[in-house]
Amino acid sequence: MVTTLLFYAFASVLIIAAVGVIASKNPVHSALFLVLAFFESAMLWLLMEAEFLAVVLVLVYVGAVMVLFLFVVMMLDINVERMRDGYTRYLPLGLVVALVVILEIGHVIWYRSQNLPFLTVPEPNPEGYSNTRELGSVLYTEYVYAFELASVVLLLAIVAAITLTMRKRPGLKVQDVAKQVAVNRDDRVRLVKDDAGTETET
Amino acid sequence: MTALIDLLDRLIGVIGLPEFLHYVVLTSIKIVLVLVPLIIAVAYFTYAERKIIGYIQNRLGPNRVGWYGLLQPFADTLKMLLKEIVVPSNASPFLFFLAPLLSLMAAFAVWAVVPFSENFVIADIDAGLLYVLALTSMGVYGVIIAGWASNSKYAFLGAMRSAAQIVAYEIAMGFALVGVLMAGGSLNLSAIVLAQEGTSVLGWFVWPLFPLFMVYFISGLAETNRAPFDVAEGESEIVAGFHVEYSGIAFGLFFLAEYANMILITALTVIFFFGGWMSPFAGIPGLDGTFIGQSSFFWMAIKMAFFMFCFLWARATFPRYRYDQIMRLGWKVFLPVTIVWIAVEGVMVAAQIGPWAA
Amino acid sequence: MLATYAPVLIFMVISGGLGLVLLFIGLALGKGQKDPEKTSPYECGFEAFEDTRMRFDVRYYLVAILFIIFDLEIAFLFPWAISLDQVGLFGLVAMGIFLAILVVGFVYEWRKGALEWD
Repeated sequence: MVTTLLFYAFASVLIIAAVGVIASKNPVHSALFLVLAFFESAMLWLLMEAEFLAVVLVLVYVGAVMVLFLFVVMMLDINVERMRDGYTRYLPLGLVVALVVILEIGHVIWYRSQNLPFLTVPEPNPEGYSNTRELGSVLYTEYVYAFELASVVLLLAIVAAITLTMRKRPGLKVQDVAKQVAVNRDDRVRLVKDDAGTETET
Repeated sequence: MTALIDLLDRLIGVIGLPEFLHYVVLTSIKIVLVLVPLIIAVAYFTYAERKIIGYIQNRLGPNRVGWYGLLQPFADTLKMLLKEIVVPSNASPFLFFLAPLLSLMAAFAVWAVVPFSENFVIADIDAGLLYVLALTSMGVYGVIIAGWASNSKYAFLGAMRSAAQIVAYEIAMGFALVGVLMAGGSLNLSAIVLAQEGTSVLGWFVWPLFPLFMVYFISGLAETNRAPFDVAEGESEIVAGFHVEYSGIAFGLFFLAEYANMILITALTVIFFFGGWMSPFAGIPGLDGTFIGQSSFFWMAIKMAFFMFCFLWARATFPRYRYDQIMRLGWKVFLPVTIVWIAVEGVMVAAQIGPWAA
Repeated sequence: MLATYAPVLIFMVISGGLGLVLLFIGLALGKGQKDPEKTSPYECGFEAFEDTRMRFDVRYYLVAILFIIFDLEIAFLFPWAISLDQVGLFGLVAMGIFLAILVVGFVYEWRKGALEWD
């Protein structure tokens, strides 16, 4: 009973947050509503006993991706007025598209679940079941191809980000700390014989 | 400790609540039992900081308020409560007050999984390590939103720099924790402490994982924006960084969150590398059963106190790093070190050589 | 298993409540006079020179993207570290290839100067 209550609580906050993302005037507020939506999704996944996925959702999405979004939204001076300019004009079309998508999803789910028996409660996990461990034991053996592809996609992301944004300022001098530390006295000090010290004759 | 919890359990049972409320009340009392000492510890940590740094700098710290200055933290708290909170013009008041709340919640919520002794941990979850990492990631939001909501160039710049620094050192911490995870064999924090059982001090993870301990501790210093990595709130540079526009209790909440984070890093260092609540005299025959042989919270407190002293020592001793030096350390030094360590440790654990011969 | 997470939720609620209580006490006790000079942004005693927006510094964006990549790498490393005894040598080699590919990316960013800061 408690889980049902929690589910409805989290789900309603999630929907409100999701509506807040698109309805909010300030882009920073939208980004923060999205953070709240991710948090609630993580709670829902936790209710389904997918603890690894829930915590990784918070770790990666809330902790990394949304930080990136916030950086960008805060640094760019987004002119919200111009963005909102055709809102009421396109609203009916937007509602029609949303309705079509909902009908399509409903149809697919109804079609796919035709012959499935009705699950009441899934069987409880055995003692010592660790969601992370089970995931690990399959991910690196059966699905290793997808896993390696993921690493290539990440490499692609690194290369793309650097190519698109790196801009070397001309005349930039970078410190090479290894060279600085490897310096010894002979490189820096040179003793010169000088004639200073002879007496001047008056 | 379990006796106390049992007593409380029976006391609440006398009132006769439904099972769910009984559980909630018992858990709330356990949480208060952790939070109140934590807040007092934070308050006296600030006092200890001023005293210890004072003595290192050959002067007395606060010694006017109360006997030897011991009432200083209460005076500070009272002052902060009574000061006016100046909300800057053109700042969004909702975001302005959300930022310290977010910082505080991220700093406090991690304490739910910290095991204080063998049978006292508020939430003994199976993914404790991941939870710790996820919630320290949430700490960045307080910083960013504070800088933004203050509507001030300096606050915003300080917030961006601080956020970039925190984020860079989080990766080093994450990799160090993966190394600890391989050695401990479980994501549960109590299980990691128990995996360090051995002949007293020799079983602790600090010996086989010494570089990871150094990386973790120094990353902890950088994460909490503590000297020598405090360029984002260095008093001589950018005044107070992201919390320059905060005053009164709003600043007090940031302060509370920062010191609670520091104590958390010391607690986690002790749990991951120094055997948590286990006594250093544990495996020695003859001392078993005596107080110094027993593992208890006392040992954890002593180890945590030592690391808190190290935090203060580092602040008093080292000059401040420049910002590009901080980023260089986080990306170019710690990241390669931890990746190599994980690779080598992975091979050793899989082949079961070295200290992980099962 | 799920019951072990309930204290976490209660803890978050209590710590949020504590923060709110402290803020309310501060707001109630700290009454002061509002003054336009007091609430203007701090700029060492002068009027603000220019607009509050700083110019977009692309280095922050790059740091954030690199952080995402390495955070994902950590997320992949966690299940591997725990199930090392079950996946054995095959898993070790698979993770080795993953780490090698990402090390190639890391070396690339190092050489390109993406890790330099100013």
